[in-house]
Amino acid sequence: MQPSRGLPPPAPANGAIYHTYRSDLSQVRALVLQQARQAGLTEGKANDLVLAVSEVAANTLRHTRSAGTLAIWHDGHEIVCEIRDEGTIADPAAGTRKPPPGASGGHGLWLVRQVCDLVELTSNASGTTIRMHMGLRPPGAPG
Amino acid sequence: MDLLTTSVATVESGSEPYTLVELVGEADVTNSDALREVLDAEVAKHPRTLIIDLSGLRFMDSSALHVILRANRAMDRQGGVVALASPRDPVAKMLRLTAADQLIPVYATVSDASAG
Repeated sequence: MQPSRGLPPPAPANGAIYHTYRSDLSQVRALVLQQARQAGLTEGKANDLVLAVSEVAANTLRHTRSAGTLAIWHDGHEIVCEIRDEGTIADPAAGTRKPPPGASGGHGLWLVRQVCDLVELTSNASGTTIRMHMGLRPPGAPG
Repeated sequence: MDLLTTSVATVESGSEPYTLVELVGEADVTNSDALREVLDAEVAKHPRTLIIDLSGLRFMDSSALHVILRANRAMDRQGGVVALASPRDPVAKMLRLTAADQLIPVYATVSDASAG
């Protein structure tokens, strides 16, 4: 989990599904759940990914006035959800420290980093890209 | 249909009445203001116990959590208690990861919550 201020990572692989959102996060969550199930994530992992993507998309609504874009793709090893928006996250390590119990903010990115297998965060003046990776369990592996 | 519906009842149980707020649907940043209004209105009535029934809640994000934590602080200041009842697995996990379950007791059922 290396936070970076560099250029955004390369565009998603072919076969990604794209969705633009401005206000409806329920639609975002439904799409992630459907794709996560289709990729073969367990129900628990699928719900984790839904929470992570929803938290990041909520930040788009909170901190920008423009739409965000969700891209989802998967291969045999992992499913990746990428959110791009025009917001800027000043602290690339945001969410790496646990907020104190009862804190009135700061839980969103903490949760994202807790539930995902890998989080890549790239932010600069032109926008933020956050990629959330979730590993697929190999065929035949338990649980 | 609304993404989140809330219903409020005063329940007369054996020992003393409690306020029951039931949340059904999905609670996120797009409806956390509405949730705050509902909880603020109940907290303002100074109940001894405010139980939030989460059994119908399919999803909860950190915005909704912050509204609940805020209500808990207000109840605490006025000598009342907030309890959460029957969260589904994803919501229970989120309460655990944020340690909110260490501040607000989480019960398997509303009747467990009302028994304290």
